[in-house]
Amino acid sequence: MNFKWIISCFMIICLTLLSGCWSSKELTDLGIISAYALDKNEDGEYVGTFQIINPMNVPGSLQGGASGQRPAVTTFTETGVNPTELSNRASRKISRDLYYSHTSLLVISEELARDEGLSAILDSMERALEFRATAKVVITRGIKAGDFIKVLTGIDQIPAENVLKTLDSTEKLYGENINTNLQEFIQSLTSTGKEPLVSGFSLLGDMEKGKTMEQLHSTDFDAILEANGLAVFKEGKLVNWLDGEKARGTMWGLNRIHETPVSIDWENHKKAIAYRVIRQKTDVSAQMKDGKPAISITIRAEGDLRTVAVPVDVTDPHVLLAIEKALGQEIKKEVEAAVQEAKENKTDVFGFGEKLHQSEPDVWKKLEQEWQDVSFPELDVDITVEAFIRRTGVRNNPYLFDLEKKSD
Amino acid sequence: MEKAKISASQLFILMILFQLSNSLLIPLAINAGRDSWLAIIIAMIVSIFLFSVYQALYQYYPALLPTDYMEKLIGKVFGRTLAFLYILFFLFSAARVLREFGVMLLSLAFPETPLFVMSALLILVVVYTVYKGIEVVARTGELLFVVMGLLGLFLLLLIAISGLIDISNLKPFLEEPSKVIKTAFTETLYVPFGEIIVFTMIFPYLNQARKLKKTAIFAIGTTGVILALTMALNISVLGLALTERALFPLLSTIQSIEVGEFLERVDVIFVLILVIGGFFKVSVYVYGAVIGTASLFNIKEPSRLAYPLGMVVLLLSMIVANNYPQHLQEGLKVFPLYAQLPFQVIIPVLLLIIAFFKNKKT
Repeated sequence: MNFKWIISCFMIICLTLLSGCWSSKELTDLGIISAYALDKNEDGEYVGTFQIINPMNVPGSLQGGASGQRPAVTTFTETGVNPTELSNRASRKISRDLYYSHTSLLVISEELARDEGLSAILDSMERALEFRATAKVVITRGIKAGDFIKVLTGIDQIPAENVLKTLDSTEKLYGENINTNLQEFIQSLTSTGKEPLVSGFSLLGDMEKGKTMEQLHSTDFDAILEANGLAVFKEGKLVNWLDGEKARGTMWGLNRIHETPVSIDWENHKKAIAYRVIRQKTDVSAQMKDGKPAISITIRAEGDLRTVAVPVDVTDPHVLLAIEKALGQEIKKEVEAAVQEAKENKTDVFGFGEKLHQSEPDVWKKLEQEWQDVSFPELDVDITVEAFIRRTGVRNNPYLFDLEKKSD
Repeated sequence: MEKAKISASQLFILMILFQLSNSLLIPLAINAGRDSWLAIIIAMIVSIFLFSVYQALYQYYPALLPTDYMEKLIGKVFGRTLAFLYILFFLFSAARVLREFGVMLLSLAFPETPLFVMSALLILVVVYTVYKGIEVVARTGELLFVVMGLLGLFLLLLIAISGLIDISNLKPFLEEPSKVIKTAFTETLYVPFGEIIVFTMIFPYLNQARKLKKTAIFAIGTTGVILALTMALNISVLGLALTERALFPLLSTIQSIEVGEFLERVDVIFVLILVIGGFFKVSVYVYGAVIGTASLFNIKEPSRLAYPLGMVVLLLSMIVANNYPQHLQEGLKVFPLYAQLPFQVIIPVLLLIIAFFKNKKT
């Protein structure tokens, strides 16, 4: 009896410890994809490029002996008639199973986005269990998506991470680019009252040199990835790029500005006063005015003066009020330009349609069908901006006053 | 009937776990659009009336199982046939729930595992628990209820602090009131609220009969509020379009969580909620069938039925549909109308009327 018990215990232990999971895969069998790029070739097939992490060569990893000798990532390119074909076909070249769960960056080339649009390809990413809805999307400008993820980067050695962090910091500090993930993109894509925006990225320098380790052995890289503009989509296709002021104006309208510099002219000095927004709040509301839908945007920005390159008495509250007013005008100008551009393109990137839907569902039902093409371009948009200067840095008046006295 | 007693708090926990289980995971009442939470609340309130019917029947025969008092009410032949149909209904419901959970686990975590293996593992645990009797089911409930509660709170906290909630996604409010009413009465009333019909098999085990009404109504109310909150949360995080498209909206909501740069990909919480919930729902249904069969066929040891009926549920769950979309369509269109409406609403109401007149005469 005792013997029987021991045998059965032993068997249970074997069963639980030795069997493991049904379709278990060891870490060394997985090719961890950090970035995934999609292009289209002349034959109309998709060209996918996988940026796969070389675990041995990532600095700081446990076995990181070889770091600095070889690149932290390797890329493979494969073609296919759809993303699923493409992914499984790639196994002909890659020695490991493709593992999408850590793919944090989806790169799409401008041509693909412009000619064919993203409607057809995003489904396979959304449907897949492994692919994360929080993966960020970027569009490459003037370079193939596949080439884009081949470029090696410096401070963050995994290029995908470098791009993500750049995108994050530039949205936070400058506000001309937007961090869009797959889920947000599809949300706006399917909404009738909002069109998606995606950040563009371009390459500065020589792409061929950027692929080699030589690149990392210099202080001045041959190829640098730079966030560049906002891609505007309509019906899933890229229709326009927003750059500079228009991009930032759009970000103001979306309440996505965190910290950004605003410069104004003062007493004939070009861009002599710079103000840095620390926090802001943009309220967008839709209401009916004389039987027509109207949008009002109210922006309240708070910040510091960071550059005062003219002799102006910033200790005087009245002067500050005047500066605040000028700053408000400057911001308003940017937002107006962005709204104007959106109207000309007939793309409601601000989501005014959604706001109208929320506040006036009955009106929206009538306008929904032709919102982007007819109603939105004629929309009455009222913009109010209030900028508040809270501090002037750690100085009162600029030293330019003293210089003036000296020269007198 | 086995000799067992459960307390009011155990019943409360069982009812909550049972009702939450799969309803927490699927896009419940999504046909009501943004106002699905309202449809859930309406269905919850109506189901309290439905519960009053079950409770009134129970008051007439507090010590008897429904399968027994049916015989008393409408005669031997009809009563026994009806009881048998109820047992089939419980088995079939158990099979449907089992299928749902098998598929969820497959599409979520084990894409390459055959469905049969997954369902077999689930039903094995269920069968063992049911074999041990209702007291064990109830005590397991107490234990896992704490886990569920903590997980739920943790999730809510994570979603709140990751700043995903956008209340404006819930506007406009009441865009199509007729849809809300329709969804509440044709779908949500039956799943999950009407499913408490299976608890009529458990009510006789309650040790304090007078606490039943308060306990059950409180459980139904709590469930309704939690479910309504969950749907409102899903829609406010994902937006309506995505919630409609998602097979498991709560999973998508959980996947959107990014706190800091490290606290993300917490889907395992979803799997835990799923397994706990699925286990209870199938267990309670199988228990209802087991105890019903035992009383109907005068079997002395009901627990011996757990294995055969468990196998029936397992096989039934495999043949109930060819694929998941078909299963869902059955669950939305066929099952409520032809099985749940009669078994959960019409028959209990008729029985109550008969019971009323029969007891008046004597």
